[in-house]
Amino acid sequence: MSKLIDLRMGLFLAALFIVTVLVPIASTLDEGSAVAIPSYLIPLMGKYLCYAILAVALDLCWGYAGILSLGHGAFFALGGYAIGMHLMREIGARGVYANPDLPDFMVFLGWDELPWFWYGFDWFPFAAVMALLVPGALAFVFGWFAFRSRVSGVYLSIITQALTFALLLAFFRNEMGFGGNNGLTDFRDVLGFSLSAPSTRIALFVLTALALAACLVIAKAITVSKAGKVLVAVRDAESRTRFMGYRVENYSVFVFTVSAMMAGLAGALYVPQVGIINPGEFAPANSIEIVVWVALGGRGTLVGAAIGALVVVAVESWLTANFPDLWLFALGALFIVVVLWMPNGILGLVEKLRFRRAKAPAKTEAPA
Amino acid sequence: MSAQLFLDGVHRSFDGFKAINNLTLSVDKGDLRAVIGPNGAGKTTMMDIITGKTRPDGGEVLWNMSTDLTRLDEAAVANLGIGRKFQKPTVFETHSVEDNIRLALKAPRGVFATLFHRSDKAEEARVTALLDQIRLTHLRTEDAANLSHGQKQWLEIGMLLAQEPDLLLVDEPAAGMTDAETMETAELLKSIAGQRTVIVVEHDMDFVRALDCRVTVLHQGSVLAEGSLDHVSARDDVIEVYLGR
Amino acid sequence: MLLRPYLRLLALCLAMLTPLAASAQTLDELVARLPDGSYDDRAAVVAEIAATGDPRALAVLEALLEGELEQRNSDGRIVIVGGTRRAPTGTDALTGEELGELGRRATERIRVNNSLRRTIRTAMGVMTLRDPDPARRLAAAEAALRSPAVEQLDALDAAMQAEELDYIREAQTLAHAATILASDADTETKIEAVGVIAGAPALTVQSTLNAYRAAEDPALAEAVADAIDAAERRQALWGQAQNLWFGLSLGSVLLLAAIGLAITFGVMGVINLAHGELVMLGAYTTFVVQETIRTHAPEYFGWSLAIAVPLAFLFVGAVGVAIERGIVRHLYGRPLETLLATWGVSLILQQAVRSVFGPTNREVGTPDWMSGAFQLGEMTVTWPRVAIVVFSLTVFFGLLLTMRYSAMGLQMRAVTQNRAMAANLGIRTGRVDALTFGLGAGIAGLAGVALSQIDNVSPNLGQGYIIDSFLVVVFGGVGNLWGTLAAAMSLGVANKFLEPWAGAVLGKILILIFIILFIQKRPRGLFPQRGRAAEG
Repeated sequence: MSKLIDLRMGLFLAALFIVTVLVPIASTLDEGSAVAIPSYLIPLMGKYLCYAILAVALDLCWGYAGILSLGHGAFFALGGYAIGMHLMREIGARGVYANPDLPDFMVFLGWDELPWFWYGFDWFPFAAVMALLVPGALAFVFGWFAFRSRVSGVYLSIITQALTFALLLAFFRNEMGFGGNNGLTDFRDVLGFSLSAPSTRIALFVLTALALAACLVIAKAITVSKAGKVLVAVRDAESRTRFMGYRVENYSVFVFTVSAMMAGLAGALYVPQVGIINPGEFAPANSIEIVVWVALGGRGTLVGAAIGALVVVAVESWLTANFPDLWLFALGALFIVVVLWMPNGILGLVEKLRFRRAKAPAKTEAPA
Repeated sequence: MSAQLFLDGVHRSFDGFKAINNLTLSVDKGDLRAVIGPNGAGKTTMMDIITGKTRPDGGEVLWNMSTDLTRLDEAAVANLGIGRKFQKPTVFETHSVEDNIRLALKAPRGVFATLFHRSDKAEEARVTALLDQIRLTHLRTEDAANLSHGQKQWLEIGMLLAQEPDLLLVDEPAAGMTDAETMETAELLKSIAGQRTVIVVEHDMDFVRALDCRVTVLHQGSVLAEGSLDHVSARDDVIEVYLGR
Repeated sequence: MLLRPYLRLLALCLAMLTPLAASAQTLDELVARLPDGSYDDRAAVVAEIAATGDPRALAVLEALLEGELEQRNSDGRIVIVGGTRRAPTGTDALTGEELGELGRRATERIRVNNSLRRTIRTAMGVMTLRDPDPARRLAAAEAALRSPAVEQLDALDAAMQAEELDYIREAQTLAHAATILASDADTETKIEAVGVIAGAPALTVQSTLNAYRAAEDPALAEAVADAIDAAERRQALWGQAQNLWFGLSLGSVLLLAAIGLAITFGVMGVINLAHGELVMLGAYTTFVVQETIRTHAPEYFGWSLAIAVPLAFLFVGAVGVAIERGIVRHLYGRPLETLLATWGVSLILQQAVRSVFGPTNREVGTPDWMSGAFQLGEMTVTWPRVAIVVFSLTVFFGLLLTMRYSAMGLQMRAVTQNRAMAANLGIRTGRVDALTFGLGAGIAGLAGVALSQIDNVSPNLGQGYIIDSFLVVVFGGVGNLWGTLAAAMSLGVANKFLEPWAGAVLGKILILIFIILFIQKRPRGLFPQRGRAAEG
């Protein structure tokens, strides 16, 4: 079967490696140096890499298994909240209210004791496991119900939107115990290292780059395995796969859960670098935007999804800083252009140029 | 009675239309059976009921006189050893020809079994043998999407064989094939019968004649006649169903 | 001391009962006697003044109550004092003649104490009970109910006899009963009065009877408790009715938002994520129409919504046709791609509106004829809600009839059921597609007109409805208009019944979770399309 690391995966990993080595070096150079990278840019770049992980996660289930989740932002946010809760606990008595037992927002709400679901988050390994487990468990339960009932295609997309919308409303409520509207913020340090120290920032950046590489390799390993072939078979001819004796729902639940855990990992790395997590991350529009990253880069290519995310968020940063009114026009046009004229995304275009001949017809949707 | 497949008084209606009406049918192990009937006679619905795609409103479908297939879903039915070929050839278009066969090969179907599956020499030999049998060796690494209609039919038959089922349900295999291919297909199915049970649904009377086997005529969801082709085609009611109105 | 109120009561009753005798003394004489004697004497005079039935008396009593009635030292004339304290002016209390500036200390106030004030109020109430103006009569009866005074009993009796308007007599009867309760009538009469009051709106029953819960007479106390319990039960029942009504009006809003989708998604199978933005465009159309009318022809403002309805339908429908021809038609049979492309359209529409109209809420007015409310039993029904329910049902049935009976509806159904066959029959499928999508969009525009009345008109308006609309359509069963109606109404009602119990946000979350679970259990919705084709 196919190779685990093909040409484009190799190129991308090499480029990622070079960046990961060069960025920390460049950030320690003098301010005056032409190639110096200011310390504040490092978390920004780390943030982009988190989005790339998120895109890879979505590509795994949309590109290969045909599950268009419009709720991956929810798994991302849940992972972020899990780490955010730990970072809140690490503030300890240094908060505004100097309460050693309760986070500031709970003191503000007049709560007397820590809710039970905050127990354990003092301990970093627990929080780290939860950042993967909570999104994974939600995806497992949700997927188990949905795929067993053969909810697929557009219906699945709609209920995943409803899922993230419900979570958005829930996390806005103060009574939920996750800081309500304001979310979790004012973090100080992680594992004893100050979050504002350049060295911590570099470490988090490198960690994110490693996570991205790991996710790419894991996702690729899944897709080249026989299970990955089954997933593509499900995407292209679901009922044929069933009549062959494969339990389609088990495969779908598996890939959906793995993908959600990757999204959770992305969120967990995102929060310490950005310094805040609030319910806005659950906004349905966020989840839809992830799809355009994947579609732009090239659906079903993994590397393309990561590239798509990096390109779109870089353009977004630039446009919102310089021409804020243009950003939504550009994003909207991007959706339309990619769908109508670039069905295989950037990587598809590259292939086309490389071979100078039309590729096989675009991957068709699986019949409903 | 030692029927391998026994449909007992099966009913199914869609919005008042009785697609299957008190259908009783028995097929013995190793039989080759052709099922014919005009459009709307319920042939495809019968296949759907046997393979777990459609639940009947009433009646039983017994496998080896013990398992009731109507309680199982498609995957469970397939794993009992019942393979199905569709009317419209359905192959995995974005997979190569050999991967199509590999996916069909009899092997554990669980997620983790396939996730950690490693291909071995025996498996490769089996793939090669099957590709030879369906004459697609030269297209081994080609995407299935690029095959002709007839080649897709062959590939699907190859996938069916790769599953090593005890019962093959074959829906109009000759559609889109040349006359020569049609005869080859008939020969192939005849050679499979004996070790395996084969039920063929077909419109093409030449093909059915070439199969030279017991024929069941379906009409309005139940069995109208059964016997050799010559026997059933001599019956007035069968002629009326086919030619009348 | 104890006797005083009784004396006054006696005087008052005598005065009321013997109008002829009382009128023997003219108002002028009585008013002239006001400054003399003790407070008690003054009270007797007040009662007699009230008994004259002279229309001028009310102003005199009111001035007396307010401490504005004074006697001029120079000629003993009774004047009503106004103006400022430094430069008081006067008018003759009886003739209304302007007397100009009075000069400080030129007059002496006719003093009143609290007990006298009460007498004056009662006397005024008695007078207004017979006022020629029905509104004032009603107000007097209601005032008498709020503070029942035994002195009014006979006046109320007389007023009831004379009253010709039913609703005023009802109010007077209530006041009468309340007054009996306050009097020292026998238990039987009082229980009878409780029975009368029990028929009033629940709030009135509670406020009037609560004081007698602890009545000494056990029979009376029991009757009172029963009446209050009954009223509370009635109120709870009406509370449910109110919830139902709120639910139906929320359901109508959902229906309006979803009904266009029921066409584009339900009938055509196109996932149009820009649907919410089409609703938003409809709302902005209303805004533009109103602005134009405000600047050019403000007198026609009452017609603004009637003008906006067809314009929004046509404009948004045209936008829909443009979207279909430009984008959607290239994507038939590829639902996920359609979803993404229309999302792109939604972003562009949002930003376009933001660039043109600004990001803030725009003010859309409500015509006068639509404001206000009326009372139905124990609940208040506001006209805008009624209008939305009526409008959304009108749109729904209009659409249903269009689909069923018009040539266009027939072609639409033909194309969606069998495109190739329809094309062979000479139907221009492309045109039908465009028109169907346009129809769905136009209805979204209509929804926008209605939503502009109840929601903030901002570029984000549509986003609030898109998920709900899809859930309504899927919940009801795709391709089934009646299902959409049932889904919208049941979700609206369920939401409103959950709200008091779980709060607005939690209620909404529970509904979302319910629908997610429901769709997983029955992916084809409440009323699935059946048949072999739907088996998929």
